[in-house]
Amino acid sequence: MDNPYIRLTHEFNDGRLRAILASGQAVVLYRLAIMSKDGDWILREEAEALTHVIATLARHGARYRYGAPLDLRWLAHGWSAHLEFNEGGLRLRCDFVTRPPRVEPETLRALWAAPVQKEAPVVSLPVLAEIKKTNREKDYAVIGELARRMDDPRLELLYSRSARDLKRLAAEHPTVAQEAATERPLLARLREGREEIERLLDLERRALMRKNEDRLDRYLEAARPWGAEWPRLSKELAGQPLAEAHETMVVKAAELLPEKA
Amino acid sequence: MERRDEFLSEEDLDLVNLSVEELDLYWRLWLTQAQITNDMDRAAYSHGVFDRDPAFSD
Repeated sequence: MDNPYIRLTHEFNDGRLRAILASGQAVVLYRLAIMSKDGDWILREEAEALTHVIATLARHGARYRYGAPLDLRWLAHGWSAHLEFNEGGLRLRCDFVTRPPRVEPETLRALWAAPVQKEAPVVSLPVLAEIKKTNREKDYAVIGELARRMDDPRLELLYSRSARDLKRLAAEHPTVAQEAATERPLLARLREGREEIERLLDLERRALMRKNEDRLDRYLEAARPWGAEWPRLSKELAGQPLAEAHETMVVKAAELLPEKA
Repeated sequence: MERRDEFLSEEDLDLVNLSVEELDLYWRLWLTQAQITNDMDRAAYSHGVFDRDPAFSD
């Protein structure tokens, strides 16, 4: 594929697996929708992986955007790092985490052991659905369609956004639905009418959106001193090659950006 | 035919019918056209834990 984000993924993974495509470009590779201009990856939480990714991006002339340094001290606490460069008339944005939100450590380990192979390594459908539990309405439409691509009725029950689908699945797999209700409480109410299930789905979506907003608020609050310094720091970084800019970022972030939000 | 809840557009749902080359071409065209909004979203974030670049006042 002549997709620069896929080419970049292969460069990140030169010699060993270090980066797995997530979110918007994963949605493209699953052929669900084309909805993101940016690339985002889950990186292996190892210094070697980050060093390799920085070196790769340096070859493309990338620069840091506002964000955490691409350094384990911050990424291991859920911070995200953001870089961008221009190539072939396109602005390519590269967003990185090592701890995607809402993904359990055990699930993350399983992902690294066996990533889904499309044109590049991508997150599994359930991991993609968890990542998409954001505070944006449009992401819940994607989760609804992702659920239909899951071939395990338990997973489909856990992620479906359709009252019709949920009622059908519960009728076809009553025991599975009962067991899955411990993880998703609305599954215990599937004997009720479609309208009530739709109301519960709306409530569930709003609760998930608020939960994500609360999570982001913690990071935004913790990043205030870093944000206040950034307009000055970004000018300083602009004249530096990426490797040097990275060192500058790390030194400054150690002063102003708490590792734990 | 039984009605079902719809989440995405027909164009999106049709992506499964494209060959790798067709998907590639369609995605390139979309991304190229989407560059027109680069100035508008220069400070914005679509992933991660940051929301706006404070270096931009707009």
